[in-house]
Amino acid sequence: MKKNLKFYIVLYLAKLSRIALKLIGRDATYFPGKLAVTLCPDFLGRIDKPKTIIGVTGTNGKTTVCNMIEDVLKENGYEFIDNHLGSNINSGLATALIEGATLLGKQKKELAVFEIDERSSVKIYPYITPTYLVCTNLFRDSLKRNAHTEFISSILSNNIPSQTTLILNGDDLIVSNLSPNNNRIYFGIDRLKTDTDKCENIVRDITVCPKCDSKLEYDFVRYNHIGRAHCIKCNFQSPKINYEVTNIDFEKMQMTIKSKSEEKYDLINNNIINIYNMLATITVLKELGLNQEQINPILKKQKIVDTRYSKEKEGNIEIITQLAKGMNPIACSRAFDYVRKEEGNKAVFILLDDLHEAANSSENIAWHYDTDYEFLNSESIKQILTGGARYLDTYVRLQIAQIPKEKIVHQREETTLVDKLNLKGIDKIFILHDLYSIDLKNQLKKKVKDKILEQNKQTEN
Amino acid sequence: MDKKIEILFPEFCNLYGDISNMKYLHKCIPKANFIETNFNDEPAFVTQKVDLIYMGPMTEKTQEKVIEKLKPYKQRIEQLIEENTVFLITGNAGEIFGKYIENEDGSKIEALGIFETYAKRNMMHRHNSNFIGKYEEIEIVGFKSQFTLGYGDNQKNYFAEVEKGIGLNEQSKLEGIKKNNFISTYVIGPILILNPEFTKKILEKIGIEEPKLALEEDLKNAYVQRLKELKSL
Repeated sequence: MKKNLKFYIVLYLAKLSRIALKLIGRDATYFPGKLAVTLCPDFLGRIDKPKTIIGVTGTNGKTTVCNMIEDVLKENGYEFIDNHLGSNINSGLATALIEGATLLGKQKKELAVFEIDERSSVKIYPYITPTYLVCTNLFRDSLKRNAHTEFISSILSNNIPSQTTLILNGDDLIVSNLSPNNNRIYFGIDRLKTDTDKCENIVRDITVCPKCDSKLEYDFVRYNHIGRAHCIKCNFQSPKINYEVTNIDFEKMQMTIKSKSEEKYDLINNNIINIYNMLATITVLKELGLNQEQINPILKKQKIVDTRYSKEKEGNIEIITQLAKGMNPIACSRAFDYVRKEEGNKAVFILLDDLHEAANSSENIAWHYDTDYEFLNSESIKQILTGGARYLDTYVRLQIAQIPKEKIVHQREETTLVDKLNLKGIDKIFILHDLYSIDLKNQLKKKVKDKILEQNKQTEN
Repeated sequence: MDKKIEILFPEFCNLYGDISNMKYLHKCIPKANFIETNFNDEPAFVTQKVDLIYMGPMTEKTQEKVIEKLKPYKQRIEQLIEENTVFLITGNAGEIFGKYIENEDGSKIEALGIFETYAKRNMMHRHNSNFIGKYEEIEIVGFKSQFTLGYGDNQKNYFAEVEKGIGLNEQSKLEGIKKNNFISTYVIGPILILNPEFTKKILEKIGIEEPKLALEEDLKNAYVQRLKELKSL
């Protein structure tokens, strides 16, 4: 697509808006791109793009994978543009491209790393051809926006450019069937001791063969539709994995990845979600030409940002905060699974209200019934404390999961929940929070720490 | 005699936590026989007397498969409706019983044609709204989230009169279909958990006298709060 006069005028306006916003101390990570795509809807097609583009899409893990890719590239001296401060829709990508472009619309850097919202495929891929597109997983997400996985996978398959090499989670049968004619590389994790033969989750979005509609037989199930399967009638099966984790040593916190050879990588933490995120990162970086020595030393220093996960000890009690994205049943179910499998006696705070919805409307709570609250029905979980606009709904949901009333504290006001926290015999306290509840999570965490300190003082006296 | 409840195609027709309706109903009537009919099985209602048939929302491709699956049983379904069998059909599952579903390009998928309504898809514009509608004396609360809108005449056989939100489409104030004990509504998700009085009504319809609900008080508290909240928006 050629640059025309309108394109140049819009480019200059967008660049000027960026300078003006910065001068007045405002955030310029969204507006310039929004202005550009509003005034010139095919702006993304007209602006030059870096020679190599890494795109990362999928329901869960895109931000983490992008952050890891960017850190490894940066430490190895690569220069690139990215949208990590802006949005992951067309205007966010436009902002990054505007910032990276000269006044003639040429890109100053040869590499880009873009997080790409799956729902925005229609507005992005007609104009941007990723060299590599990583897809981490496809699950049910906000039902109001994303509807269901069949819809999301079809808009991805209908829009991903045919020249793009796909880097796909081979343990996700929805992901592994995206754009079947594209060149593809699969990553996956071989059967683990914790995998099962039966699905424990409420939701499994692929149960029949996409080729012949016959029943799919799972060779093993990790969670939801993650696992390996084959069709009982035709030749359809999970793909052959190109980058496969063949062993995880949780004691040494190391994993072995088999591709053309076997290599060891250090784990950042023991959560399977993060192991998948690391594996996706390693796969794309290896395909880009980096080697284990360039990747592992940087990757192992990575810390999951505090807004997603944190762990600290106050006295004898661990306080763990974990992001559990509201309206995202699989992310919440993973968080619940993580809590139940941790050792020790636990108390759990649940703050999953979508505060944006709570402020403007009444949240559609259907997603709570796709979420495995049943995982919280565990002997080791001694108390569950839930607050927020939907506290009465959560109370019902917890009881439908057969959790005894006596274990549940529910009230509208979230921060005073801590007053009802019973620390007796508790080894770990989990605060599960939504993306929009970071401040609330911090307040609660501080109050929990104060309560533990106070109790410890009383014990000493 | 224990009640028989048939859940049609639970492996597909459960997009928005909808199967929780049946799990909850099971808590209310633990002795009832819940039959989960998978897609490759013959529905139980073809050869047996069932007291309630439930089907929840599904993907667009699945709608087409389900229409083909149920076509051979159209007469049987019509007979069951005439005989007052209770049907609870939620989300876009109701479209299966209408005349047709129209795609954006104008092509049509012929449905069972039991009712005069039809649906139009718009896959890039999803409709989301809250809902309050009056069914008999009960104010039903819930949510809609759908790619389709319904059209056609449901004046003589609507399910609920809309107080908040939309009916079959944005111009309609009449929601869903009700004929004898057949009820279909675009409301999705845990409709029975959200609406305790409606759940009692369903239980009465299947022949349970003075039904008792599981967690009744807690459900009522959540219902009262939601109704108040939705009315204030």
